[in-house]
Amino acid sequence: MSGDLFSYVYQFADVFAFLVLSAAGLAIIFGMMGIINMAHGEFIMCGVYVTSATYHMGLPLVLAQACGTAAAGLVGVVLEYLVIRPLYARPLDSLLVTLGVSLIATQGTLVILGSTFPGIGTPLGSFDVGVYTFSTYRMVLFAAAIGVLGFVYVLFMRTGFGVQARATMQNAAMARALGVPTSRIYALSFGIGAALAGLCGALYAPTMNLIPTMGAGFIVEAFVTVVVGGASVLLGTAPAAAVLAIIRSGLNAWYGQVIGQIGLLIAVILIVRVLPSGFSGWLARRSAS
Amino acid sequence: MFQRLNGPQTLGNGRGFWIGALAVFAVAVAFPAVADPYDVGNFAYFLIWIFMALGLCLMWGYGGMLSFGQTFFFGLGGYGYGVIEINIGAAHGGSLAALVLAVSVAALAAAILGYFMIYGRIGGVFFGIVTLSTTLALAAFVGQTAGPEWTVGTARLNGFNGMQGMSSLQLPWFGRDIDLEESALYYFLLVLLAATYVGLRLLVNSRFGNVLVAIREDPQRAELLGYDVRRYQLVTFVIGSLLAGLSGALYTAWGQFITPSSIGLPAAAMPIVWVAFAGRSDLTATFVGTFVLLFAFQTITIYSEQSALVLMGLLLVATVLFAPRGLMVGVGQSLARYSARRGG
Amino acid sequence: MAALLEIRALSRTFGGLFAVSDVDLDVNPGEIHCLIGPNGAGKSTLFKLVMGTYTPTHGSIRFDGEDITQMTPFRRVNLGMSIKMQAPSVFRALPVWQNVHIALQRRVPRRLLAAEEGRLLDLLGLTAEAARPAGELSHGQQQWLEIGMALALQPKLLLLDEPTAGLSPEETFRTGELVKRLAQAGMTVMVVEHDMDFVRQIATRVTVLHLGKIFAEGSVEAIVADPAVAEIYLGTPHANADS
Repeated sequence: MSGDLFSYVYQFADVFAFLVLSAAGLAIIFGMMGIINMAHGEFIMCGVYVTSATYHMGLPLVLAQACGTAAAGLVGVVLEYLVIRPLYARPLDSLLVTLGVSLIATQGTLVILGSTFPGIGTPLGSFDVGVYTFSTYRMVLFAAAIGVLGFVYVLFMRTGFGVQARATMQNAAMARALGVPTSRIYALSFGIGAALAGLCGALYAPTMNLIPTMGAGFIVEAFVTVVVGGASVLLGTAPAAAVLAIIRSGLNAWYGQVIGQIGLLIAVILIVRVLPSGFSGWLARRSAS
Repeated sequence: MFQRLNGPQTLGNGRGFWIGALAVFAVAVAFPAVADPYDVGNFAYFLIWIFMALGLCLMWGYGGMLSFGQTFFFGLGGYGYGVIEINIGAAHGGSLAALVLAVSVAALAAAILGYFMIYGRIGGVFFGIVTLSTTLALAAFVGQTAGPEWTVGTARLNGFNGMQGMSSLQLPWFGRDIDLEESALYYFLLVLLAATYVGLRLLVNSRFGNVLVAIREDPQRAELLGYDVRRYQLVTFVIGSLLAGLSGALYTAWGQFITPSSIGLPAAAMPIVWVAFAGRSDLTATFVGTFVLLFAFQTITIYSEQSALVLMGLLLVATVLFAPRGLMVGVGQSLARYSARRGG
Repeated sequence: MAALLEIRALSRTFGGLFAVSDVDLDVNPGEIHCLIGPNGAGKSTLFKLVMGTYTPTHGSIRFDGEDITQMTPFRRVNLGMSIKMQAPSVFRALPVWQNVHIALQRRVPRRLLAAEEGRLLDLLGLTAEAARPAGELSHGQQQWLEIGMALALQPKLLLLDEPTAGLSPEETFRTGELVKRLAQAGMTVMVVEHDMDFVRQIATRVTVLHLGKIFAEGSVEAIVADPAVAEIYLGTPHANADS
C-alpha cells in the first residue's frame, strides 16, 4: 500500500476511533434513559486523571487505564443515585443537573489539583509506511474502538442484563411489571456509560496535556455523533461515526483541527435539516422499522 | 398601553408592583449621585449581562427552547463590535453603528442556526447540545487565532490573549460626541435595559406571547389551532439570541477587551444558572435573580473565581432538585398570593 | 354539489403494515359524517392524514377544491378545518379563559375578543371555571373545552375524534345536540365514534372502516341493519343490534 493511501486510512481510523470512544458512553446513557449527560466530558477527565495518577504511582499503563475506567464507572453509579434518579421523568432537568455537576467537577479539580497534572508519554513508538511515519498507539486506539463496539454488542445482545436493558428501553413500565429491576438497570447503564467515558479518557491519557477543562475537548465530537446517531450505539453511533469520520478526516487534512471541528458541526446541522421530514421523523421511522 | 404590559404571562401586574418598579428605577437613577465611580462602573457591568438572561428567559421559560447558545451570540456580538468598531472608528456615531451591526450579525447567525435546528425539528435535549456544541466550536476557533494572519481589516483577533484596541461607545450629541463611560454608560445601559424589559413584557402579554406559551405547553395543539409553530419559535429564538449579542457588544464596549473565555465553558453555563435559579417562567424574576447572582458571584470571585464557579454549579444542582421552578418565581408567587389575599 | 372533502386512493403504511389502505371518501357540505369501525380499523390514522399530522404514503386529499395532500397542518386549519383530537389536549397549565382566547385570537379582532370569549365560555358551561388551569377540569369539561376551541375557529369542516369518550350519557346527549345545531348552521362535521347511540342521534351518513379499508357506507339505518357490518363491528353477529 502506498504511503498516501495508508495516510488517508490512518486519518480516518484515528477520527473514527475518537468519535466512537468519546460518544459510546454518552450514547448508552441517552439510549437507556433519554438523558444527555452534560458531565460526560468530566467523566472522561476523571478517567484521564486517575489513569495518570495510578501510572505515576507505579502501575503498568494498562492497569492504570483499567483503574481510570473503573473509577469513572464508580463515580457514575454514585452520581446516578444522588442526582439523576430523582429526575428520570425530567430529561431537560437532568441536562441541567449534569451541567451543574460538570461545573463543580472542572472547577473543583482546578481548586484542588491546580491547572496542570503530570502527563504520560505516548507508548509503542511509531512505524513507517512509504515516506510517512505513523504512531502505533493510534492503531491501538482504533482497535479499542472496535473492541468497545464488540463489547456493547455482546453486553446488549448476549447477556441477561442486555435482555432486561432492552426491555426497559422499549417500555419501562411494562418491564417493571414483568419484574425487571429497572432502577438497577438504569444505575448500571449509567455506570457503564460513565465507565466507557472513563475508558475513553484512559485511552487518550497518553496523548494529551492534562488540564481540568480537557473534557470540553471531547464533548463537541461526542454530542454531534449522538445527534446524528441517536439512541443506539451499534446502529447509530457506529455508522454516524463512520460518516462523520470521513467528513472530519478530510477537513482535518486540508484545513486543520479547528476548521475540522467547525466543518463537522456545520455538516451535522445540514445533515439533520435535509433528512426527510426532519430529524425526529427520521429517528421515529428508524426505530419503527 | 399600560394594560398591554400586564397579563397572565407575567407576575406583578398590579398598581403596587408598578409603583415599586418605578421606585426601584428612581433609586437606580439616583445611585451614581451617592455611590463612588467604581461601584457605578460595577453596576453597569451587572446590567450588561441581564440582557442575555432576559433573552434566555424568553426562549426557555416562555418558548420552551433551552438554548445553551447564549454565549455563542454573546461572542459574535462581542467580537463583532470589536472588529467593526476598530475598522470604522468611534467618531460620528461609528461606535453606535458598530453596536447595531454587531447585534445584527448575532441576529443573522441566530436566524440561520435557528432555521436549521427548528425546521430540522431538533427539539428537547438535542436543542441544548447542538447550541452548546456551536458555542464550544466558536470558542475553539477564536482560541487559535493568536497568529497575525487572523486579522480582519485592522482588527487583530489575538487568540487567547484577547482582542483589544476598540473604543467605548460614543454618543453623537449636537455636533460633539459624549463618551459613554462611567455614569454616562450606566445611564445608557439603564435606559436600554428598562426599555428592553418593557418591550419584552409587551411581547409576552401580546397575542404573540399567548401563542408562544401555547407552543411551550403543546406544540401540536398550537399548530392545530392554525399557528405556524416553527415560525413563532424561530422569531423567538432570534429575539432571545439577539439580546445575547447585545450583551456581548455592550460587554466589549464596556471593558474594551474580549477573550475566548467569555464564550466557552464555563461561561456558557452562567446564563443557564441565573435563569434556572431565578425562575425561567417570569421576566421580572429573571431580572432580579440574575442581578442578585451576579452581585453574589462577583463578591465571591474576589476570593476565588473557581470556588465561585463551584458554588454556581452547586446552586444549579440544588435549584433543579429542590426548587425546579426557580427560587425568585417562588418568592414572587408567594408575594402575589399575599397581596391577592389582602386586596380581596 | 361538490364534496367539501375528497379523499382518493389514500394509503398509509407503518413498517409495511397498512393502517389505511386505498380509501376513497367524500364528505359533503352540511352533513354529519360518522366514521365507525372496530379498534385498529384506521379511523384515527385517517383523521390524522386529513389533518396533516401524518403524511400519506399514497393517494390524495382535496379540501374545498384545493389539493392539501402535502400541506402542513396549520395551513389546513387556515383553509377552514379544525379538529378535536382523541385524547383531550388542552393547554393544561394555562387558565381555561386563556385556552379559549388562544383559539379565538386569530379570527376575532381585539375589541370583540372579550365578548366572544365570554360567549364561548358560556356556551361550554365553563364560565365559573374560567380562571382555573385547564388541567384541573374534569375529563368531560376538558372534552368540551377542546370542542369549544375547535369551534372557536369557525371551521367549514369540524373533525371530532371520539368526542363523547368519558362523558356521562347526559353530557353525550348534549354534545350530540350541539353537533346537530352546528350542522344546521351550515358546518360540516366528521366524527369518529364508538357509541352507536350517539351515532344514531347525529349521523346523516355513516362510513364503516375495517382493516384500513372502507367496508360499507350509507344511512345510519342501512348500516345498522347490515348484518355484515354487525359482524365485523360488533364481533358477534347481531349481539348489539338493538342497543
